[in-house]
Amino acid sequence: MCMTTKESCTDRFDAMLETRGVTRRRFLEFCGAIAVSLGLSEAMVPSIREALAESVIGKTEGALTPVIWLELASCTGCTESLASAETPDVATIVLELLSLNYAETLSAGAGFSLEEAKEQTIEAGGYLMVVEGALMEGWEGNALKIANEKAIDIVRHTASKAAAIVCAGSCAVDGGWQAAVPNPGGAIGIQPFLERSLADGSFTYEPNPGGLPPIVNVPTCPSNPEHIIAVLVDVLLVGKLPELNHLGVPSLMFDQYIHDNCPRRGHFENGEFVYQFGSEEERKGYCLYPMGCKGPQTKNNCPIVRWNRRVSWCVEAGAPCAGCANANPTKQGYNWVDLNTPFLKRFKNLTIGDISVQPALVGAGVAGLVAVALAAHGVGMKLTGRTKGGADFEEVRAWDKKHPDKAIGVAAAAATSEESKASDAEGGDE
Amino acid sequence: MPFILTHWVNLICMVILIFTGFYIHFPFFPAFMGIARGAHLFFGYLIFANCLLRVILSLFIKSAPAGGTRKLERDVKSFLPQKDNRHQLGAWIKYYLFLKKDHPLGGKYGVPQKLTYVAIPLFILFTFFTGLCLWAPTSVVGPFAAFNNLLGGVLVTRIVHYFCMWFFIIFSMLHAYLANVEGLAPSKMMFGWKEHGGLVYDPDAHVIVGEDKLDH
Repeated sequence: MCMTTKESCTDRFDAMLETRGVTRRRFLEFCGAIAVSLGLSEAMVPSIREALAESVIGKTEGALTPVIWLELASCTGCTESLASAETPDVATIVLELLSLNYAETLSAGAGFSLEEAKEQTIEAGGYLMVVEGALMEGWEGNALKIANEKAIDIVRHTASKAAAIVCAGSCAVDGGWQAAVPNPGGAIGIQPFLERSLADGSFTYEPNPGGLPPIVNVPTCPSNPEHIIAVLVDVLLVGKLPELNHLGVPSLMFDQYIHDNCPRRGHFENGEFVYQFGSEEERKGYCLYPMGCKGPQTKNNCPIVRWNRRVSWCVEAGAPCAGCANANPTKQGYNWVDLNTPFLKRFKNLTIGDISVQPALVGAGVAGLVAVALAAHGVGMKLTGRTKGGADFEEVRAWDKKHPDKAIGVAAAAATSEESKASDAEGGDE
Repeated sequence: MPFILTHWVNLICMVILIFTGFYIHFPFFPAFMGIARGAHLFFGYLIFANCLLRVILSLFIKSAPAGGTRKLERDVKSFLPQKDNRHQLGAWIKYYLFLKKDHPLGGKYGVPQKLTYVAIPLFILFTFFTGLCLWAPTSVVGPFAAFNNLLGGVLVTRIVHYFCMWFFIIFSMLHAYLANVEGLAPSKMMFGWKEHGGLVYDPDAHVIVGEDKLDH
């Protein structure tokens, strides 16, 4: 925190930004964008600005929220997404100036000294743990080792004192595409892994024994930098996590379908579709629904927040949504790849063993079989002469015939009368 | 004839729901999506209401439990298994597989028919429920959201809903075939509003007691 007044704190921060080519105006715009991502009003912009300034200037005073960024089994896409700005814009600067004590890709240091820095941060506690990539449990955890330590142990150890965990990207949430069938390395998300570790006693959260650390899941592949920064700022600003839904995902970002806010939605309602890439319809920017767009069943605010510093996003760029934000930490085997492939088809394939088919084929196949069976049956009915009012009715029910003692109705009456006849006859003999 | 009316509503709803359902699954011609979705919703609610109405009516309305008799019974009795249905399932299956030469005795509905007709309202309810799980405004409401989560996502619910449609298609094929294969009388009633005669079955005595020739 700033030792001086708030004004001087923000002034100093503005000066810092200016030396990096970011004007005060652009910084305020950035704060406004964060306010929107967080669902806050514009009136909160000054507070966001202060919080950021305090947090950044705080670094020089030595009281910045430390961050440990663990990179597990990943393509580094989430880091790339955050860090690959051509010009050092505000988002990158904020991230740079967070006390990123440990990050495999971004840290200048490497090797033993970096591992030691991580160890010291964990020792001190109260840090933010960001995880990128899936955890690999396969081969007793040997599927993924970092600095000669199993990743499953690293995650348990790092999580044991973290103030909060941010799972950046679908892989960290539920294993992502690495958990797709057949998943030989045993990819799993952080939340399900910690839940299971807590249950089997291999994990204890020191600040709250018996509970889990607060976890914010931020799916999407890669995670949207706007989302990550919004969550980080939320933690810095109000000192608590954003509102989460039942999947542990920030509600404000992930509670509406992409379809609901899609710029091509009008074409969908009009029935104007792209049926083939390279066609006239595609040139006109029609709806990509028949091309397998997963927007109608994927919840994310991509159309609003967009990507690459709000330049564009998949559907705007002409690609049907692949549904990469479909991450479910409460269920294994529902990662976005298994759920959405083939990407260019409306439904996922149904897979039994090595056989993969579209549900349409199954439905039509069964109906076809039934049609053939009925046709064959119809021929049988014709041959047996049953098509004119059916066969003759049985005189008594077949079952009654066999079980006269338990029969009902006429058959029962007949049976009793036969019995009485029989007993009469016996009586007659006497 | 409330039964014929509800049956007509069912037929129209099914045809429209299946057609628009296929269209929503894959829009095979342009400029129809808005109408298809609107119609799908409207007829989805309608078939649900119709199904409820039919079930409630069956509790109050009386009809003949078998062809030709003047006896009247509450309709629900025709749908639910009765005493004379016991031990007849095997006979019906054998009959349809040509393993039994004569026609099993029974009231208006045979055993497999009763099983199906009891399952159908339940299945309409289930399909209606999965439909509401998919419709955005209701998909976030408690039970619907819980069901989506149970299955692992709306995409899975969508496939379940899709297979429900195929169930109704297959049911309709079987229904139309079985109803008409032994004579077109049911179709004449449905489409031509003509009652039919036939052998008269006494549900208490469990035998054919005569023939109703409709010429009186």
